[in-house]
Amino acid sequence: MALIDLVVPEVIKTPLESTDKPGVLRELVGILRDAGRIGDYDAVLAAVQEREYKQSTGLEQGIAVPHGKTPAVSSLQLAIGIAPQGIDFNSLDGQPTKLFFLLVGSPDQSGPHVQALADVARLARSKAFCRAVVAAENAQEIVELMQGS
Amino acid sequence: MRKPIQRIMVYIDGSEPSITGARYAICLASSCGAELVVCYVVNTTAVEELLRARIFLQDEQVEYEHDMEANAERYLNYVGDLAARKGVAVIREKGRGSVHREIVEAVKRHGVDLLVVGELSHIRSRRDECYDEVERAMRGAPCSVLIAKDEDRIYELYESSG
Repeated sequence: MALIDLVVPEVIKTPLESTDKPGVLRELVGILRDAGRIGDYDAVLAAVQEREYKQSTGLEQGIAVPHGKTPAVSSLQLAIGIAPQGIDFNSLDGQPTKLFFLLVGSPDQSGPHVQALADVARLARSKAFCRAVVAAENAQEIVELMQGS
Repeated sequence: MRKPIQRIMVYIDGSEPSITGARYAICLASSCGAELVVCYVVNTTAVEELLRARIFLQDEQVEYEHDMEANAERYLNYVGDLAARKGVAVIREKGRGSVHREIVEAVKRHGVDLLVVGELSHIRSRRDECYDEVERAMRGAPCSVLIAKDEDRIYELYESSG
């Protein structure tokens, strides 16, 4: 399962409505629920929050990669959220976060989970790519950017 | 004439397509009388990359590597059982490190003449082409490579064989 297989318009939201970190986490997990990708919203949210409590997944350059493991999902799930105005996510560089990649996997699928996270890490290294995603007007445009078309 | 396929290796990562690939490899090994190597790679390279990118914490690195080790054992056992049901013995190969490098090295080490992999993603991005581990292994493998497709047909083939 490649990261790109998970990127469909139904799991992308731009712009996000939330204005703070707890709200963004709830909204990202809500994207998966609304897309019919998860059944147990509370369990998925708890897994993501548990990791986030240890240390923020807000990296540098306005990107965050909240993630978690839970048996509540049977396969790897991705949600992408864009907050063009930026949200305080306690990021490493203290800058507001604009681009969120949420990844939730099952403990028995840790290999694909790790690979997808590594793919996100590589994408996040391209500042031009991230700028283009944040500036995208709709979910379909983000899908096309992810596909490199 | 020497048999064209004497030793098959199938790469599994726990995904459904890779298990489908394993079923197909078992059917092939059974019908060709070939030996079967089953390979799983614990992708420690990606975990280290995530630690460097500060996406993973130190305890997450340990936890995920532990999970992957456990998954490796589970899936190697699972495919071993699938093979045993069809009377095919398997050689287990568990690697650690970079997935594509470990696959290619295992192919060389075991003298494999056919590498079987599960179906690749339908949608490809230019970025993925640079990083997809299985695709890189396919390009680097010094033997023929077979991509197993059509999960339903292969499932039926496996169930009806031997």
